[in-house]
Amino acid sequence: MTGQMFSRPLIGSMLAMTLGLGTGCSHWIELAAPTDTTPPANATVATDARVPLLLETIRVTHNGSAIAPPTILERQVLGAIEATRLFSQHYQSGHAQPAASQARVTVRLSIDNIVEPHAGQAAWRGLLVGASMFTLAPFIPLNYDYGAQMSLEMERWDGQTKHYSATSNGSAHYYLFGANPEVIEQLKGQVTEACLSSLLDQVIQDSTFFLAGNTQPQDRPIRTVSVTVRRPSSRAVPVSRSLPDSSPR
Amino acid sequence: MPFLALVLTALALGSLMMATGAYAADRSPMITVGTQEVGLTAGYMLPHRLTQDHTTKQQGPALMPSWMMTVTDPVGDGWYRGQVSIGAEMVYIQFREPFLTHGVGFTPKIKYTFVGWDRIRPYTEFAGGPFWTDLAGKIPEESSRFNFVLTAGFGVSYFLTDRAALNIGYRFHHISNAGTRYPNLGLNASLPFGGFSFFF
Repeated sequence: MTGQMFSRPLIGSMLAMTLGLGTGCSHWIELAAPTDTTPPANATVATDARVPLLLETIRVTHNGSAIAPPTILERQVLGAIEATRLFSQHYQSGHAQPAASQARVTVRLSIDNIVEPHAGQAAWRGLLVGASMFTLAPFIPLNYDYGAQMSLEMERWDGQTKHYSATSNGSAHYYLFGANPEVIEQLKGQVTEACLSSLLDQVIQDSTFFLAGNTQPQDRPIRTVSVTVRRPSSRAVPVSRSLPDSSPR
Repeated sequence: MPFLALVLTALALGSLMMATGAYAADRSPMITVGTQEVGLTAGYMLPHRLTQDHTTKQQGPALMPSWMMTVTDPVGDGWYRGQVSIGAEMVYIQFREPFLTHGVGFTPKIKYTFVGWDRIRPYTEFAGGPFWTDLAGKIPEESSRFNFVLTAGFGVSYFLTDRAALNIGYRFHHISNAGTRYPNLGLNASLPFGGFSFFF
């Protein structure tokens, strides 16, 4: 009997602590529903009609201030374009260039990032959590908002240009013990990926604009390739979900 | 003073060990949301008798291991640009005077770090929480062993690497029991300190 009376509060306390620690260490990311309504696009193009692409500039601003584009972002952009298979080769300004006489598409990308870390809110909520000796840690979430607006200018070899733009927003929500730089990096990565996908969907819809004339010899069969936008495994969804793992991928 | 000398020697050696990679990774420390800080701080408590009723000259070394979580990216522009951290600290004080006694406490803590000076980062901090000491009852200022400790202070961190910093600073230290028993005059002290922090 005595054992039962001791064990019930003990079990209850352990359950409460486990639940509290589990909740207090959790975090999740929400991506807002995309504002544009461009449907996922795909097309089939003649392999030999594709031309090289030159990524000329990436301009990045962070809350309105210009910053140097991170190398990882340049790789992410070039990788996303490459994954569409709309272009035959991919070059980046400052590295190997296509031949001057060769038809090419020149790309200029502008990315405006809006970061709202809710610093005041985090400070006050943190103070409250601390004042409660951390007992409120599983009940008071902290927030971090991130948005990206991208403008893409694509210039064809004959000087004709097309402009595309896309916007994506997301929020990371976390409890004090679940805070981790990786959570913020994941949020930024997912928002950027969603914005890039939206942008490239628009490009794919204009895929014929970026193809050279039919250069296929008559005696050879026409080879084609399917072009589409690579969908990230962590696709942007307008509902909240917990991230199972915060370790870097 | 041997205890304090031992602790300060350990701190100095620890700092020197950290400094081996200091110039290999010569880039500005990037402390972002979610960055955790684990630190060890040591100091020596010097008494302040603020009224005529205060007679005790309590003093002795203090040791304060701490954990903090950065909850904001740098905010603001100009000299006050900085970021907020929330965390907790254990405090152990060995009172050498007027009697050899001890005190142990746990204090949630908030810190604002100014980030505008690259590797040199001044900060202000505030902490408060429960504190147990067997000095109380032996002195006229405090009657109960269960007390609270409140500290407020400032310091400077110097980043030896982008993940390790040396800290020095000053805290004002107050111990009292919040009126749960009388007398409750409180004990006040200055606490100059030094230590180091690791960020991950």
